[in-house]
Amino acid sequence: MNRPELPELGPAAATDPGPGTDLAELLGSVARGDEEAFEAAYDQLCRPVYGLARKVVRDPAQAEEVAQEVLLEVWRTAARFDRSRGSALSWVMTITHRRAIDRVRSATAAAEREQKAGRPVPPAPDGVAEAVESRLDAERVRRCLGSLTELQRESVTLAYYGGYSYPQVATLLGAALGTIKTRIRDGLIRMRDCLGVS
Amino acid sequence: MPRRPDLHGLTGAYALDALDGLELDRFEHHLAGCPSCEHEVRGFRETAARLAQAVALPPPPALRQRVLGAVTVTRQLPPPAPPAPPAPRSWLRPAAARPAAADGRGGWFPRLAAAVAAVAAAVAIALGVQQAATQHQLDQARAHNAAVAAVLAAPDARLVVRRAATGGVASVVTSASRHAVVVSTSGMPALTGGKVYELWFLSGGTARPAGLLPPGAAGRTAPLLASGVGHGDRLAVTIEPAGGTRQPTTKPILMVTLPT
Repeated sequence: MNRPELPELGPAAATDPGPGTDLAELLGSVARGDEEAFEAAYDQLCRPVYGLARKVVRDPAQAEEVAQEVLLEVWRTAARFDRSRGSALSWVMTITHRRAIDRVRSATAAAEREQKAGRPVPPAPDGVAEAVESRLDAERVRRCLGSLTELQRESVTLAYYGGYSYPQVATLLGAALGTIKTRIRDGLIRMRDCLGVS
Repeated sequence: MPRRPDLHGLTGAYALDALDGLELDRFEHHLAGCPSCEHEVRGFRETAARLAQAVALPPPPALRQRVLGAVTVTRQLPPPAPPAPPAPRSWLRPAAARPAAADGRGGWFPRLAAAVAAVAAAVAIALGVQQAATQHQLDQARAHNAAVAAVLAAPDARLVVRRAATGGVASVVTSASRHAVVVSTSGMPALTGGKVYELWFLSGGTARPAGLLPPGAAGRTAPLLASGVGHGDRLAVTIEPAGGTRQPTTKPILMVTLPT
């Protein structure tokens, strides 16, 4: 059985996993049925997965269900992860976001959410939730979101965190479809470059 | 108001899962044949992953045991079947139809009569069938091959052949009306260390990623479609580390001014 070499755990390790806990490598082991590797992957993934599910779905019980489905899917389909097509985190977050979207983007669900929320308020940059482990990430994202124009920022956050389709975003912001499409893309280009994503 | 929807502009919405229904289907179909969109979507997804990390929250502790318990009773999917390596001659035209290559270059797009384009397209489809392991991959291969054939058969298709500085020859078919090129190569040395040949569109002072050459068989690479060509663009090829880069990090080994 393939046992990943566990690094000495210290305070830095909480936010900076050593080479032995590289997520892509862990998923390689998970794909071969290594349950210990999956535990290590769970510990790295459960906070971003649950956090994103909570942000999009809002209801804590449903968010927990989404997180459970996603993490189980990571176990089930680890062999389908192809590291030449993107990072392991990106792969898992894509699964998470889609699962969360599936939950919210039905006609009744949308109506309920609008009823509960009144006029949806896009999260302001300093409304981005914090957790101790990801303070640095949250800071960076907050700063980069702050460098976008208001329309770019609102379009990106309504689409990603709000889980709205871009026509819905256009309706919410009272803008043309083409405008929103462009603002989302421009906003993402700025975020990508600001965050230094390669 | 443009008559044709600008599909390239949907990369952002797609990466954020903000596309639905027919538009989603249409874009995914487009994505199958658009390496620059694929590249952009990938970068946007990585960016979105950072957005997700910024809202990370510890889940209820009970989740851990529930998930680990479920894992012990859940079967895993096997890895996808690897594509069968293409037989070296499967996408070459039959020897009799190849022209006497007096210049010895051996490019496989010597003429662009409609009949030639049709043969090349049929052969490209055969390659796609060989490599497809699932129906989805087959559909994608067909969409890609249809897009390749459309460029080859376009009335304004023009062929340019150039030698690469490090060896080998690239044949580039440009269709200005389709804003796309199809690139195939012959004799370019296999790269070590996971490096790849990456294509770029150059305009003004900027370089836009246009895709990675697929791994070759018997020294030849299958046709690569790159769309999003602008008027006056040049096409360049560089050698980059595995996975490609967003900007060229090495000097081009090949540069082609695309016919307009």
